[in-house]
Amino acid sequence: MPTARTKRQWLTAGLGSVSLLGVALLVAWQAPNAQQPSEGSEGAAAEADVASQPIQFPHDTHAGQFQIDCQYCHFSAERSVDAGIPPVATCMGCHQVVPGRTNPAEVAKIREYHDSDTPIPWRRIYKVSDHVNFPHLRHVAADVACQTCHGQVQEMGVLETVAPEAGNLKMGWCVSCHLERGASRDCTVCHY
Amino acid sequence: MSDGFGRRDFLKVVGVGGTSAAAAGCSTDTVERLIPYVTPPEEITPGVATWYATTCGECGSGCGVRVRTREGRAVMIEGNPDHPVSKGGLCSRGVSALQGLYNPDRIATPMRAVNGSFEPVSWDEALELLADRLGTGGRSLFLTGPKGPTEGNFLNRFADRLGGRRVVYDALDDSALRRAAKIAFGVDALPRYQIGEADFLVSFGADFLETWLSPVHFAAEFASMHGVRDGHKGRFVFIGSRLSLTGQNADEWIPARPGSEAQVALAVAGELVRRGADAGPYTALVSNTDLESAAEAAGVEAEALSALADRFAAGNGLALGPGLAGHHAGATAANLAVLILNAVAGAVGRTIHLDATPDGEASSYGDMVQAVAEMDAGAYGVAVVSGANPVYSLPPASGFADAFGKVPFKVAFATAPDETTAIADLVLPDAHPLESWGDAMPAPGKYSVRQPVMRPIHLFDSRPMSDVLLETASRLGHDFGAVTFHEYLRAANRSWLAANGEAVGLAGDPNARWRELLRTGSVSYADTSPKVEALQPPETAVGFAAPSFQGDGDLTLVVYPSPRFGDGAHANRPWLLELPDPVSKIMWHSWAELNPTTAERLGLRSGDVVRIASGEGEVEVPAWVYPGVREDVVAVAMGGGHTVYAEFARTFADGGGVNPMTLLPADADAESAALALVSTRVSVTPTGEWRRLVSTEGSHDQDDRNVAPAMALSALGHAADAAAEDEHGHDGQRRELQEGGGFVPVPTEGRAEDFPLPGSDFGEYADDHPRWAMAIDLDKCTGCGVCVTACQAENNVPWVGEREAMNGREMHWLRLERYYETVDASHAGPLDVRLLPMLCQHCNNAPCEPVCPVFAAYHTPDGLNAQAYNRCVGTRYCANNCPYKVRVFNWYGYTSDIPEPMNWQFNPDVTVRDNGVMEKCTFCVQRIRDAGNRAAVEDREVRDGEVYTACQSVCPADAIVFGNIRDAGSRVAAAVDDERTYRVLDELINTQPAVHYLKKVTFHEVDEGGH
Repeated sequence: MPTARTKRQWLTAGLGSVSLLGVALLVAWQAPNAQQPSEGSEGAAAEADVASQPIQFPHDTHAGQFQIDCQYCHFSAERSVDAGIPPVATCMGCHQVVPGRTNPAEVAKIREYHDSDTPIPWRRIYKVSDHVNFPHLRHVAADVACQTCHGQVQEMGVLETVAPEAGNLKMGWCVSCHLERGASRDCTVCHY
Repeated sequence: MSDGFGRRDFLKVVGVGGTSAAAAGCSTDTVERLIPYVTPPEEITPGVATWYATTCGECGSGCGVRVRTREGRAVMIEGNPDHPVSKGGLCSRGVSALQGLYNPDRIATPMRAVNGSFEPVSWDEALELLADRLGTGGRSLFLTGPKGPTEGNFLNRFADRLGGRRVVYDALDDSALRRAAKIAFGVDALPRYQIGEADFLVSFGADFLETWLSPVHFAAEFASMHGVRDGHKGRFVFIGSRLSLTGQNADEWIPARPGSEAQVALAVAGELVRRGADAGPYTALVSNTDLESAAEAAGVEAEALSALADRFAAGNGLALGPGLAGHHAGATAANLAVLILNAVAGAVGRTIHLDATPDGEASSYGDMVQAVAEMDAGAYGVAVVSGANPVYSLPPASGFADAFGKVPFKVAFATAPDETTAIADLVLPDAHPLESWGDAMPAPGKYSVRQPVMRPIHLFDSRPMSDVLLETASRLGHDFGAVTFHEYLRAANRSWLAANGEAVGLAGDPNARWRELLRTGSVSYADTSPKVEALQPPETAVGFAAPSFQGDGDLTLVVYPSPRFGDGAHANRPWLLELPDPVSKIMWHSWAELNPTTAERLGLRSGDVVRIASGEGEVEVPAWVYPGVREDVVAVAMGGGHTVYAEFARTFADGGGVNPMTLLPADADAESAALALVSTRVSVTPTGEWRRLVSTEGSHDQDDRNVAPAMALSALGHAADAAAEDEHGHDGQRRELQEGGGFVPVPTEGRAEDFPLPGSDFGEYADDHPRWAMAIDLDKCTGCGVCVTACQAENNVPWVGEREAMNGREMHWLRLERYYETVDASHAGPLDVRLLPMLCQHCNNAPCEPVCPVFAAYHTPDGLNAQAYNRCVGTRYCANNCPYKVRVFNWYGYTSDIPEPMNWQFNPDVTVRDNGVMEKCTFCVQRIRDAGNRAAVEDREVRDGEVYTACQSVCPADAIVFGNIRDAGSRVAAAVDDERTYRVLDELINTQPAVHYLKKVTFHEVDEGGH
């Protein structure tokens, strides 16, 4: 039906240019904005701190060298949506007696936080969008290794996200794994 | 389709734009912090809810609640099914406690009045000042709302120790009923009603489903009495001048004139005595009545009263009331007459119980009047107010504000500023009930504890009043054996167990008992209080003549407590302000109810602003034309028109809320000294102005659509015959429709055996999934609206404010439709109001899904009609195509306007939607997924009852059942297997909804339509 085809071409062209215009506008609008610290950052004073963690916690030493189970510290992964960030008291459980051979100055910081009853303001590395619900418990129960999403953490001295530029932790990446493993691809499994 | 522009093409094109925008908009310098605990609280696991059983503190009913907390914050309140009184139900005011807790207008620090303005002071200074004034400032007066037994007892002891006086004040006073029980039965306690055990129920105007005594408890009892089971149901007759929410649930309405309750009750009792019943010492009194003159006094037909007598004579009848509708100058007489009727009808000892032991805290306007006189005379040096706002809730004519102003030092404990704190000298931020300890004794043998569910919000430097008073006591050298109220409560519990534990079967380790109490929230034990059943000799001083009303207007003013705000204490909560009133469906402003005949006489339409003038004052308020009020009555709800209150309540006042108490003279019932709410005649005159009512009522008429059909009781059991007869009725029409082109019938009734549906057995849909469905019993639903508020709380549904609501942009995922079938105030007769909770029907054959260009609206394998917010581009085609009008659109960023810390209440399991997104009921998919996750981890199926929706979790009538309809053994499958089951509009448009309604059952014959 020629009429239908004409309609489609018109629509495709129209919508294409609209979205291109949208992209241009968004880029233009984003440029000056990028200079400003976004909401949620700790402000100018913290900016020097942005790149680093308050304590240089070596995952390679703990998870690699000493083979401490991930869930020893990330204690709620098997029973909660959240994996859990260890309370300072958990660190102290070992570091009460373990001074830290490689970097005792960093270990001493834990004691400072603990003694002053201050939580450690860890910099967040992994985050899925607010409209995504990632239930750790389901993935642990399905024997998905932590490394599948978080990379070879046991080899990382400084924790970083795994190749985000390659689309890791994006929806397509999640879905491809769900497809491979025959898990549900229903939207409301993650989005509600 | 192959040649056209498919939906997927559209998606691709839009998708390109979306991805680029996301890439361009990506910013990496956002640093979020993860703040762990230093030492973790034992009971908290991040991401897992912790529940606390406690007692609701929003009114004196003492309902049990379960509070869900996440990471130490309360996020949801549900009914506690284990509670002996509320049985899993709750009311909107109870759910909205969350907005009291997180209200941005809470008082943040102690304040002292200095030269007409308030200055913050430290708690130490405040305590020093309080102790000093209580110690040396002269006699002290403690004006408090009703408190739990232990706190009330402590306050009495505290006042005694200081040589002061305590007055319990509640604007919704029950002293007339207490006084009547004292006269009739010699007991100093409120009668206890077992509505569920009665076969025939009459309310003499008592709004027992909304504000009278213990509405949640009564709603549960009413549902079991009035809901049909095994082909039987109890009949409910409402006698009164205005159909409240309670009245709308009646099967029959006798629109009696206000003030005629006593005559009607006594005449019916007299008729029963003439037929052989026994009125004991009241025989002479009731024999002296006749139905004709009572009917004339009430302005109704004598036949209606004689039919009433017939029904009482048939046995097991119960009369309630008259409640606040009968709070006029003859309030005690009216209550007494109803109690006499109950005694004559044989209800006493069967469905009414009178305990010889005094119960809880009795409030009395009489004590208040006395306190006002004493304050005026300078008898007090210090006045302490807590849990009450008498400057607002008493008629100005009572002189309270002036007298209170004369007290040299006035202290107000309050969570939020109000009219009373505004004139206090010292304002102390009280802790919210969800942050403090307490208890309740809703009935003998039923004890309910209140525990804090979270630490006090640090933004507000609040302390529980009892803790403050204990600290003050110790500064003054008085010892109450406890430093905090928690200790006091524990000690009281221990000593009670030591004294009574053995006798009531609660022996053993008191610490274990306490832990069990905290776990379950309440304890029931044998009720050993002696019961009274015999009428006492009459007190001759009580006259039963109709009360006279003041003023010379032509309409009687009926002031009633709002089902949403009570006496006005809850008017600063946006959920309640935007909850459509169960009767008028109006939100955000006040209105005056006028009968259509009266309105016509005055030349008024709904929305015309009228001036209501009494001898005491006048208010201007829009009229709402309502066939459910008598022609000689104008009714206005309490709760509006705050002059000094938190921001939301002021918005309410600015937007057109009025306080009808300003119209009332300070009249009281002579016998009990209860404040008269129905005491004046008023004139109503049009002002010539008109305003648009902010109402969600599309139509009060079903327009032959039969959205909320009913079935006659006599037709039950004959459904098959009816279907056969219907060959030429709606069923025939349906067939005709289906035979027309373009209609694809899906032959299913939505029962377990119908799944998988044809066409839904491929790909992801192929496996054995549950099919979530809901059954709503319209014969049980009372239309109270708590489901609406619970849904808002659970699903982060924002309120939109008066202006936006006026544009029809309210965001409720669930609404209550209300249709009049038979409502006529001109004579007594059958009443038929249809109530229908309307939410997303989760159609199997959903009209919203195929029109979505981006697949945001789609069907999940487990049968949910889902909405993927992050896909939605806001075309709103789905809403336009939804025949149920259940989809709502975020026109603006309503959620981002929610002020700190009210947004702390957000449910972390549900996406907070921003502008441009369509949303609707999800069947609480977050709860389904959570249960599914847990079941999968434990390698089992989701159990029936494991998933329950927010609306279901609070319904006092237990009208909502949710579950997997493919599981033949589930509660929902059993519920829909009923001849009353129907699905809204299904026969017309073949949507195959997952929400099944069970028709209301009427005593009169109804046109059943095609259902």
